[in-house]
Amino acid sequence: MSISLSKGGNISLSKESPGIKQIRIGLGWDPRVTTGNDFDLDASVFLVNSEGKCRNDKDFIFYNNLKSAEGSVEHTGDNLTGEGEGDDEVIKVDLSKVPADVDKIAVTVTIHDSAARGQNFGQVENAFARVINEDNNQEVVRYDLSEDYSIEDAMIFCELYRNNGEWKFRAIGQGFSGGLGDLASKYGLNAS
Amino acid sequence: MIDLSKGSRINLSKEAPGATKFTLGMGWDTRITDGASFDLDASALLLDTNEKPVGDTASLVFYSQLSSPCGGVESSGDNRTGEGEGDDETITVDLEKLNADVAKIILVVTIHEADARGQNFGMVNNAFVRVLKDGSNDPVARYDLSEDYSTETAVIFGEIYKKDDTWRFAAKGDGFAGGLAAFLTGYGLN
Repeated sequence: MSISLSKGGNISLSKESPGIKQIRIGLGWDPRVTTGNDFDLDASVFLVNSEGKCRNDKDFIFYNNLKSAEGSVEHTGDNLTGEGEGDDEVIKVDLSKVPADVDKIAVTVTIHDSAARGQNFGQVENAFARVINEDNNQEVVRYDLSEDYSIEDAMIFCELYRNNGEWKFRAIGQGFSGGLGDLASKYGLNAS
Repeated sequence: MIDLSKGSRINLSKEAPGATKFTLGMGWDTRITDGASFDLDASALLLDTNEKPVGDTASLVFYSQLSSPCGGVESSGDNRTGEGEGDDETITVDLEKLNADVAKIILVVTIHEADARGQNFGMVNNAFVRVLKDGSNDPVARYDLSEDYSTETAVIFGEIYKKDDTWRFAAKGDGFAGGLAAFLTGYGLN
């Protein structure tokens, strides 16, 4: 029943799961099997306005700022290795509580300490993002990142965005090689 | 703006009385993420009443051939990144200058090297295509390519065609695979 999207694809969450409000976005990847530093992927969320920018620093949700100001977005914590089946990091969103001036919720993933560890997404296996309706625990949509991202270490996995009064999900899978700094700049924040 | 859905047709002389020049405008945002630029191309193919190209390879107006021999269809030239506000590429149609053999103009939008670059319209921010009366900023029709054609790499946007002596516009919105080359092969062109 879950829809599998390819890069660039989008679906209406409201159409696929009418009345959908509380969701969790699950991000997962395989832990490293070869020798070397663990892959520590970090999920972050940027709440952005109609200009594509964060309204303020509190719109950046990550392991040191786990909850958005009005409680619509909650990050459930850091997984340091990718250990464990299913979702390795989970972000909960209550769509009904997202402020009216937030047009888009960008879900991003960065590789912690990538420069020092010499890591990029090309080395990570089986990365995926999915949306689960918390009311019935059904997976609504899934995006499997299957391509090589040989130089990126920061990626916009997916976005939730408003379109004609509905919430939609878009599979993005595009990134940067400049880590969190590049991401933060794109959303109008200083990386400090 | 008339809200055209796929397949809708409008009589241009009714909806835009007296207008003889139209512009196909296409735009998109430049790429911010790392990777190859998004290079969208607008093209126009001129056909006769038998759906055959008028003047063989001269029948295609695109980045390598900016004007039809009759001068009735002209391209603004190739924009390779989407740099610039508003329409990044335009094709203008002057109905009065068209070769008398032209019965239909097919308007196509493609992503250059889409397969090699692994790109589709959904990956591009704010890609759109629209038809305007020349001199107006009010579109007769518009498609949101990023939103509604997300996994496509090439779209037949619409056709301007002659029927019963009046010019009309048909909204198509048909995606197709294989890029501009595949589209042209279907009309016997290389």
